[in-house]
Amino acid sequence: MKNLILASGDQRERTIVRVGATEVGKQFVVIAGPCSVESEAQTVETAKAVKAAGADMMRGGAFKPRTSPYAFQGLGIKGLKILEKAKQETGLPIVTEVLDPRDVSWVAEFADVLQIGTRNMQNFSLLKEVGRSGRPVLLKRGMFSTLEEWLNCAEYILSEGNPDVILCERGIRTFEKYTRNTLDLSAVPAVKELTHLPVIIDPTHSTGRLSLIAPMSMASVAAGADGLMIEVHNQPEKAMCDAEQAMTPELFASLMGRLRPLRSFLDRMDSQPSDGIKGEVTR
Amino acid sequence: MKLEEIRGKIDKIDRELLVLLQERMGLALRSNKFKQAVSDPNREAEVLAKVERMNLDLVERSFTRQLLNTIITESKRLQEEDKPLVAFQGEHGAYGEVAARRLIPGGAYIPCLEFVDVFRGVEEGYLDLGVVPVENSLEGAVTQVNELLTTTALKVIGEAKVPVNHCLLATEETDYREIRLVYSHPQALAQCRSFLMRNHLEPRPYYDTAGAAKMLARENPKAAAAIASALSAELYDLEIIKDRIEDGAANSTRFLLLSRDPIANGGEKTSIIFATPHEAGKLYGALRLFADADINLTRIASMPLRTDPGNYSFFLDFEGSHKDAKVAEVLEKMEELTISMKFLGSYPADKGDVAMQS
Repeated sequence: MKNLILASGDQRERTIVRVGATEVGKQFVVIAGPCSVESEAQTVETAKAVKAAGADMMRGGAFKPRTSPYAFQGLGIKGLKILEKAKQETGLPIVTEVLDPRDVSWVAEFADVLQIGTRNMQNFSLLKEVGRSGRPVLLKRGMFSTLEEWLNCAEYILSEGNPDVILCERGIRTFEKYTRNTLDLSAVPAVKELTHLPVIIDPTHSTGRLSLIAPMSMASVAAGADGLMIEVHNQPEKAMCDAEQAMTPELFASLMGRLRPLRSFLDRMDSQPSDGIKGEVTR
Repeated sequence: MKLEEIRGKIDKIDRELLVLLQERMGLALRSNKFKQAVSDPNREAEVLAKVERMNLDLVERSFTRQLLNTIITESKRLQEEDKPLVAFQGEHGAYGEVAARRLIPGGAYIPCLEFVDVFRGVEEGYLDLGVVPVENSLEGAVTQVNELLTTTALKVIGEAKVPVNHCLLATEETDYREIRLVYSHPQALAQCRSFLMRNHLEPRPYYDTAGAAKMLARENPKAAAAIASALSAELYDLEIIKDRIEDGAANSTRFLLLSRDPIANGGEKTSIIFATPHEAGKLYGALRLFADADINLTRIASMPLRTDPGNYSFFLDFEGSHKDAKVAEVLEKMEELTISMKFLGSYPADKGDVAMQS
């Protein structure tokens, strides 16, 4: 691919992004939490639950990109303060979305990882700003974007001097209406061929269906993803957005109980080349 | 105006009334130092007559009289209590007040415009005690205070290490994205330098942290914020946009408690200021006395002598009391080795393990 000077995988070691004690790209990383920060009680309680289940980082939106301008837009800076509180209580690093270039330096004061959402993947002024923020960036794939477009957006961030980019596949638009989007699982090994950057999967937004999240999570592990980003809400029925696709802490804990053993099993297979698996799954 | 807006303004006025009353009570306590007796009927009549002449149709005279009588009665009750007047630099909510509260619980905390006002007020007897910052863990010596210490006759009778948690404050109606100017004391601005740079904010020096917060609340200048304590946010009804904005995790300031009289029993810590002749080995000779006597130094700082450029005075804090035989002996020998030697006091050391809300 043309113009991928920094993002392309040629002659480069795989990037490891350090966030607190977590090394994205080296260990399998799970980011979990609510779609939106709604209240301190909801956020802190959810953070404690996902921490207990073994999550490495917490997510939560303070600035929400909503299809309708009349839908809940997020708590803004109040939401960031709540996330900070949840971090103090649990020690989990915070991943949160930033929508507006004017907010980048402020969000960076509170967050450990800045998330660029699917709708903003090609917001180039925003990409430049997060490239100068000094914080790792989680770059979601645009729902209408090719891999090449996606990696060019990563190139924007890298070219501003920020080497810490984590890619996140979150489903693309197809003609299928049963699922919210179509999870492009092949993006994981493909991106690993094209770039040195770590790539994780968002099984929540890509399927939009609670019943599909666990199977797609297991499939992501098998495909060699570096981690997952999953929506968990302490009371999904009361959530202010995405209520129908948020996992309960119990469901999340039971999924976590299966994810790590699967990853260990595959790692063991990889370390025994005679089994003939190596080379087909790249992790 | 909508009901909500009107009520918001009423709340703000109530808060300001109380802050003003707090200031009035402080001034009344200060006036007590000049009077023979707490009660002064002539002055009371004068106070009442002055405000009754004001023509405010919604605030009727009978009400004014009643209100002022209530205030005067409370003010006299406070004066009878005879609380020690503890001076600090800055407005209510300043870190000096946080330190003063910790050093002298139950005192009357009196704001002073400048450090020199704290020193003079205590020296002249209009104030009982003073609390001043000497050094900050990020920024080092507070030079103005160190200089005043060299010239003052006051004694150090205590110390407090106060954790400094700076907050970025703004009025509720301020959009944080529009903030361009940040007002605060130069020390606080310096302690938050990298935060200000990261967010492209322009520092604007002000005489005090809490004073900046107070100004913000009263004048609500456009695109402005202040750096001050959480206590200031509460006093002046400001939003905390971000707390802990200081550049180092362990930001603390050491304050000294000043009095006209030394404490009789001393304490486990002592402070002196001295100058040595400008000759080879003289400073070493002075410091060696402490090493030989096995006395641990806790702070050594130098300050240029304004009257004599090229020469310095040295601030020395060490463990031990002037009552200890070995300390007394060293201090005696110091008199011979130095061209000036000033004993500031022996006082209880702050162990510094008390978590403070500031």
